[in-house]
Amino acid sequence: MMRVDAVVIGSGAGGGVAAAVLAQAGKQVLVLERGRDLTFEQIGRDHLRNHRIARYAHRSGPDYEDSPRVIVDEAGNEQQVRAHEPGFHGNATLVGGGTRLYGAQAWRFLPADFAMAGTYGVPAGSSLADWPVGYDDLAPSYERAEWEIGVCGDHTASRRHWTRAKPYPMPPLPEGLQARALRRGADALGWDVLPVPMLINSVPYAGRAACTRCRHCVGFACPAEAKNGSHNTVLRRALATGRTRLLAEAVAERVTCDSAGRVTGVRWVDRSGARHVVEAEVVVCAAGAIETARLLQNSPTRREPQGLGNNHDQVGRHLQGHAYAWALGEMDEDVHDGLGPGVSLATLGFAHHNEGVVGGAMLADEFIPLPIAFWAWNLPPDVPRWGAGNKRYMRENYRRVMRVGGPVQEIPSPHARTRLDRHVRDRWGIPVARLSGTTHPETLRTAAYIAGRAREWLLASGARRAWTAEVPLRLYAGQHQSGTCRMGDDERTSVVDRWGRVHGHDNLYVVDASVHVTNGAVNPVLTVMALAYRAAERLCADW
Amino acid sequence: MRLYQLAILVTMPGPIRSVTPQQTATLRAVVDTIVPADEYPSGTEAGVLDYLDGQFGGDLAGSRACYGAGLDAVDAEAGETYGTRFDLLDPVQREALLRALESGDTRTPWPFDAAVFVSTVVGHVMEGFYGDPGNGGNRDAVSWRMIGFEVGE
Ligand SMILES: Cc1cc2nc3c(=O)[nH]c(=O)nc-3n(C[C@H](O)[C@H](O)[C@H](O)COP(=O)(O)OP(=O)(O)OC[C@H]3O[C@@H](n4cnc5c(N)ncnc54)[C@H](O)[C@@H]3O)c2cc1C
Repeated sequence: MMRVDAVVIGSGAGGGVAAAVLAQAGKQVLVLERGRDLTFEQIGRDHLRNHRIARYAHRSGPDYEDSPRVIVDEAGNEQQVRAHEPGFHGNATLVGGGTRLYGAQAWRFLPADFAMAGTYGVPAGSSLADWPVGYDDLAPSYERAEWEIGVCGDHTASRRHWTRAKPYPMPPLPEGLQARALRRGADALGWDVLPVPMLINSVPYAGRAACTRCRHCVGFACPAEAKNGSHNTVLRRALATGRTRLLAEAVAERVTCDSAGRVTGVRWVDRSGARHVVEAEVVVCAAGAIETARLLQNSPTRREPQGLGNNHDQVGRHLQGHAYAWALGEMDEDVHDGLGPGVSLATLGFAHHNEGVVGGAMLADEFIPLPIAFWAWNLPPDVPRWGAGNKRYMRENYRRVMRVGGPVQEIPSPHARTRLDRHVRDRWGIPVARLSGTTHPETLRTAAYIAGRAREWLLASGARRAWTAEVPLRLYAGQHQSGTCRMGDDERTSVVDRWGRVHGHDNLYVVDASVHVTNGAVNPVLTVMALAYRAAERLCADW
Repeated sequence: MRLYQLAILVTMPGPIRSVTPQQTATLRAVVDTIVPADEYPSGTEAGVLDYLDGQFGGDLAGSRACYGAGLDAVDAEAGETYGTRFDLLDPVQREALLRALESGDTRTPWPFDAAVFVSTVVGHVMEGFYGDPGNGGNRDAVSWRMIGFEVGE
């Protein structure tokens, strides 16, 4: 039987940080990672199988044959979906988790993101709530994440939105044609803009090279290792201590617990299907919002028959991500310069305090679209989907059509949830996740407002026409999934305390996006990292 | 709509058929109607058939039968409307016929929804034309150069 100080489940954004902090504090750490340890070549630049557009089974996990999910729609119809299909609500599943392939936008949540209920009131039927911590509590951890993982950005512009002690460790990437056009539009409208902070080396940093500005950033691995994720920063540091073991293709099945409620370790399955048990002083869950909830639910005890931390039926609820509101504009001039990553300029002017709606979103331009994705998603509704006219439009406008969009802060619903399915099991015999419910309807009103601002920005920036589409009422819990083990002081309405510790369990922690009470008006990953630093530092200090 | 969903719609009796020479001729004509030649190569000239061939041995292995049945049905429609095979129609007739099928306007019996068949094939053809050359189509990245995805290379 293996015995360690701490088991960390998942090697993504939260798990990587936790492993590094624990190992650097002298703890023996085992990291269990469900996905494979893939090279850049294995991930490839396959335009049909990637985490931007998945027409076929992923090359970078979740593996097609491992596990479907069950999704239940509003009418109660259920369907089994496979990992690359819409409705699966997946995230990258490999060593590094989402951070290996992400777009790397590195936003701090805004102060009002932590106080949505207090700022706007609670819409009927929603589970909108304030966080038990605020921006100031998290600011030092954001700073640590920016420096230790590596973020480029504009300190001066950012200081208009956040109190920031230290500048970013790197200047922003040089702006290209999209940003030039959008600056013009923002000037005309009198809007405040700022460069998008990125977890990308704009200059050489921490022993790795600067970004080569390739066109395959979001959804792909970086050939220059200039995109900073868990795999090339915190996990590497954890391994360098000599006190960390990272096991890939190791699926945590169940957190084990004694009759007094003390967590004793983890049962896990290797690729061959063989079961193992590792004993630990502390178990840290960081498997992502859906899989962490599934793991806790699949760990019932006599005291907690619905799973660890779930006596108040909170584990798996408030499942959310971001509904994306956007507009596309056809410009008079080329805005595609072939210089990645593409996303470059943002406004936070509509993140909060918009007339008549709850919350809002950051708005920014888009990553360079893959040609097949451009065909699938970026064409105006009046252009035929095929034939000579389609080919001509692609040729004349690929470089001219620009998307502006942003992650709309969801108004969470307690009915949006993940549970264990009672019938369907994965290849190891573990019950699969069963997803049901939708975002709260208020989210859609905000999304419509934000899409209108995106359209306005494009038109002011020189678009000869702009279009958008309605954001449908459904579940949004894919790459930005969060909320399933929300943080709070009251154990009846939350799963973990303000330090990420599961209520009622001294030695069980959650340090991934599950703990988000709400998911911000911006992309979530820097907040996952910051919360993981904060939780792991406290855990080590109290040990 | 993806082809695995189409596969569910199909209730094809008997063993899976492979694509016959006639079906290949029809497919060729369908592909070049979806991406016709202009100053730049057509779908088949850019390798879309090679892409599909590869996929029929891979992700779309389960869809060959649907393709065969759908292509036969397209030919039957051509016979009904124009009295000849699809590949013998002129480009205007081919486009008109596919547009009609796409809007669900059929004259002969179909083993599945004709509109779903057309939109599914359109999706696959675009994958072959605009996808990466590593997938077997988009020969010499011709579509990427055409649209300017590749700049300064
Ligand atoms: C293509 C893409 C682009 C993105 N772009 C951005 C962006 O620009 N900005 C931003 O803020 N966010 C972005 N995200 C989202 C971001 O990656 C996630 O918010 C973040 O990774 C979530 O962190 P996490 O720790 O909760 O989970 P993850 O990073 O998903 O890590 C969870 C890990 O746990 C593993 N795991 C799951 N179940 C088990 C199990 N039972 N046993 C062992 N291991 C398990 C998974 O394989 C995974 O590696 C993007 C994501 C993707 C995929």
